[in-house]
Amino acid sequence: MDELLEKLRSSLLELDKEATLEAVRAVLQQGSDHAEAGVEAVTDALDQVGRRFQDGDWFLGELVYSGEIAKEAMELLSPHLSAGADKRLGTVVVGTVQGDMHDLGKNIFITYARSAGFDIVDLGTDVTLEQFAKAVLEHQPLALGMSCLLTVSAGAVGRVIEELDRRGVREPVKVIVGGAALTEEFAREVGADAFAPDAVTGTGIIRAWSQG
Amino acid sequence: MNFKERFLTAMNHEEPDRVPVMGLIMDPATVNEILHRRAVDFPGMLRKPFLRGATRRLLNTNWFWNRMYYDNFSGALDASIQLGFDANWTIYAMMQLQPDSDSPLGVVWHDAFGRVWEMGSDEKGNMSVNYTRALCDTEERWEAWVEQKAPLFDRLVANATVFHKRLVNEYGDRILPIGYAAPGIFENSWQAIGFVNFTKLVYEKPEFVRRVVEFHTELYLRLLEGVMESGVEVVLGGDDLGQKTGPLMRPSLIEKLYGESYRRVADLVHRHGRKFVFHSCGRIYKFLDHFVDWGFDGIITMEPTAGMELARVREQVGHKLVLIGNLDVSHLLVRGSRHEVEAAVKKAIGDAAQGGGYVLSAAHSHPFVDPQRLRWMVEAAHRYGRYPIAA
Repeated sequence: MDELLEKLRSSLLELDKEATLEAVRAVLQQGSDHAEAGVEAVTDALDQVGRRFQDGDWFLGELVYSGEIAKEAMELLSPHLSAGADKRLGTVVVGTVQGDMHDLGKNIFITYARSAGFDIVDLGTDVTLEQFAKAVLEHQPLALGMSCLLTVSAGAVGRVIEELDRRGVREPVKVIVGGAALTEEFAREVGADAFAPDAVTGTGIIRAWSQG
Repeated sequence: MNFKERFLTAMNHEEPDRVPVMGLIMDPATVNEILHRRAVDFPGMLRKPFLRGATRRLLNTNWFWNRMYYDNFSGALDASIQLGFDANWTIYAMMQLQPDSDSPLGVVWHDAFGRVWEMGSDEKGNMSVNYTRALCDTEERWEAWVEQKAPLFDRLVANATVFHKRLVNEYGDRILPIGYAAPGIFENSWQAIGFVNFTKLVYEKPEFVRRVVEFHTELYLRLLEGVMESGVEVVLGGDDLGQKTGPLMRPSLIEKLYGESYRRVADLVHRHGRKFVFHSCGRIYKFLDHFVDWGFDGIITMEPTAGMELARVREQVGHKLVLIGNLDVSHLLVRGSRHEVEAAVKKAIGDAAQGGGYVLSAAHSHPFVDPQRLRWMVEAAHRYGRYPIAA
């Protein structure tokens, strides 16, 4: 089994989709109770991808493609997980702010956060204040993630945080923001809890929050 | 020296009388504010049911589109002259309005290459457009698109040729129009397919990706020929190869897929006796040596918010590339103080202008860039950019 799991990990890190999915099937052939180990192998590989990306050894294309392979691997593994085996780290509400229709960065973040064990509520793009606030009230998430690529839409990030404040729901939820239009300084100015320059860093931040 | 001699001297890595200043003025909001013109609120008109049909038909008419586009860029050149710039970029694009139920406005722009552009407007009705998604997310859809749109590509090249020629004829004695052949080969390849899909295809269907790259290379070379027919001395090409923290794709993969295309671009421009300057957003240190190898003469942008520092770029490439840009448009040229703008201009000149080879400009443009800050930038360049420049 260890050999199969290692094959799963290494195939994903070689960006070999066929070999990765073949390894997943081989793991499942050993019995459904090995699905959890398969998920851990995929998660390990993605952690390694994240480290390579942050170290500048891997690039966005590789981050995206490994995430896509992992998604397909998880689709095969998930139905075989026993109840309670799938450890969830919390819920994260995610959306691109009003006036902005871009979703690449947001979607990469979702792939990585989901693989790390978070439940994601994806509000999509061009999300209004009302939609963000309503989702936070409804799902009471661990974190709210806002993405913004356009400078002209950046003001909406601060307005969402003010709206959460006004409705008295700002305190329990952590706010993380990212996107080409935003900076660490901007995030501080508008009162966000964190700025994520990339999906991997973002996933690391919410993972740390989930651990208290 | 006049604006043209100044700019071209710097492009040759020689010291002109002072550091040239280039405008990246293009957004209607900026043009209208500088020229005190009122915006025509097309998005507002499209929101009104009784005007929507007529407005859409009008905007989809070739002559009206060309006239609107020309008016905006002639305004950009007027505005740029008024602020004291030596040069300004000029860009032609061609789009058609199409109904789209996913869009808040109910209509979106489709460009010739297969991209969707969402339209918005500010409180004054100034229109802005932004690429949002792909129309050809599969191999089959892309093949069908390029076959169906063949006449549109011919029209794009013809329109772009006329557009640039007219601007050079009408403004060439007052400012240097820098003809921008955009978007570039990399962007045209992936943006019509979508980044995630394109990335998958790179690994899973490399022959198809090679076909896409070849198609866009040939089309781009035709577009470049058209831009150069206008007589522009410096040609810009644009491909965002970077994002905030680094390259979008592994540089060696870009070399494998696009290296030959970029070499052909630079060769073509050089055969016409022009200079080729490449625009890329993002953190692109890992591409600088490739730019030199591909034969580019210069680069424009160097986004400070992506960690691009002029001094570091100059140290890495020496005078193998002309550097243009780097003044921040997230804070400095939006709400920075006069003192901050002057300090940034002095630093940029100190970091990159010795020996020529530097053109001062904003890193990019967007509707919130403040004309007053641009004025301060130009004034500071005139004050602190006189050669000789001390270390």
